[in-house]
Amino acid sequence: MKTRVIITIVFVSLGLIMAAVPQNKTNPKQLSAKQLLAEAHSQNQYFTPDQVADLVIKKDPSFQLIDVRSLDAYEKFHLPGAVNIPLTDILDEQWTPMLNQSLKMNIFYSNGTVDADKAWMITRQLGYKNNYVMQGGMNYWAETIMNPKAPASTSPNEEFAKYDFRKGAGQALGGGVKSVMPENNVEAPKPVIPKAPRKKRVQGGC
Amino acid sequence: MGPLIVYDSISQNTNLLLAFFIGIGFGWVLESSGFSSSRKLAGVFYGYDTVVLKVFFTAAITAMIGLLLLSLFGWMDLGVMYINPTFLPSAIIGGAIMGLGFIMGGFCPGTSFCAASIGKLDAMVFMIGLFIGIFVFAEGYPVWEGIYKANFMGTPKISQSLGMSDGLLGLLVIIVAAIMFWIGEWAEKKFPQAEY
Repeated sequence: MKTRVIITIVFVSLGLIMAAVPQNKTNPKQLSAKQLLAEAHSQNQYFTPDQVADLVIKKDPSFQLIDVRSLDAYEKFHLPGAVNIPLTDILDEQWTPMLNQSLKMNIFYSNGTVDADKAWMITRQLGYKNNYVMQGGMNYWAETIMNPKAPASTSPNEEFAKYDFRKGAGQALGGGVKSVMPENNVEAPKPVIPKAPRKKRVQGGC
Repeated sequence: MGPLIVYDSISQNTNLLLAFFIGIGFGWVLESSGFSSSRKLAGVFYGYDTVVLKVFFTAAITAMIGLLLLSLFGWMDLGVMYINPTFLPSAIIGGAIMGLGFIMGGFCPGTSFCAASIGKLDAMVFMIGLFIGIFVFAEGYPVWEGIYKANFMGTPKISQSLGMSDGLLGLLVIIVAAIMFWIGEWAEKKFPQAEY
C-alpha cells in the first residue's frame, strides 16, 4: 500500500506543477530575427530569371510560380503556370497548404524584388520552407528574357551563350526579341494547388 | 525537439519501422502482464479485476504528463501534434459497439492478436469477428457515411471547451484517475474471484 501512496503523491504533484505554470505557446519552428537576417543576407532565396525561364521551359514539375502582385496585374500578364496570391492575402488560411509544404519549390515574383521578398520574409518567419524569390521580378524578366540585349562583339563566349539562351527562352515563352511584353499571352495552364499531405489517421486502441 | 514524426524529420518508412518495433514491445508487455487472458478484460466489467483499467489509465496520464512537461521545457512542439478529429455521434456509437465487443469477446483488438499469437483459439475466433466487422463497415460504408461523418467538430480539446488550461485539466484527470483506481481496488475486494 505504501508504494501506491508514494506513486499517487508523485503523480499529483507533477499535476500540480502542470496546473500552476503557464502554457508554453512559443513555436520553436519559427525563426528568430537573427536567424532570419542571416538567411536573408545569404541570398540563397533567390532564383535568377534565367533559372526560372529554364524551369518554365523544361516544365519542371518541382516548382510553382507564385505571383504576389494584385489580381489586376496578374490578369493582365503573368508568367506561365503562375498562381496569384496577392501579398495582402498571403496570411489567408486557404494558402497555407500551398506555402507550407515540402513537395514543390514556390518561387515568388512581383514587379520588382521588394514585394516578393516581403512574401518570402513572412513565410520564412512562419517557419515555412521551400519558398524562393525571383530576383529582379517581372522588370528584370522583361529586360533579360523577353528583350535581351546583344552583347558587345568583344564579350566573352559565355555572354553570347547566355544571350542565345535568353533569346530562345523569350521566344519559347511568347516574348520575341522585339516587344518588351508579349502581345498574346501564353495561356497559363490551370494552376494546381498542391493538397497538404493528408495526415495519417492514428490507429489507436489497445 | 519532438515529435520526431513530422513529415520532413523522418520518412514514412522509418516511421513504420519504428511503429513495428514499438508494436512488438507493446505486444510483449501485454502478453507478459497477462492481458492475453480474456478473463482479465472481462474482469473490468464485473469488477473482480481492474488491472486493464489501471494500466491503460496510467499509460494515458503518464503520456499526458510527459507531453505537457516536455512542451513546458520547449522540447516538444504540441502545435504539430496530430489530434484525431472529433465526430461525436460516431464516437459514441463506435464506443458502444467496441465496448459490447470487449465484454462479449473478452478481448480488445490489441490483446486478441496478442492471445492469438500464443495460440488461443477464442482469440482467433475473435479476430475473425474483427475482420467481419471491418468488412461489413467497409462494404456498407455508403449506408453509414451520413452518421459516420455527422457533427464534425474539428479537433477541439476538452480543456478548450471547458475554458481551462491544459495543465489544470491534467491535474483533474490525475485526481479522477486516483479516485477511480481506489474505487477499482475496492471493487476487487467486494467481488472477489478465485484465482484463474
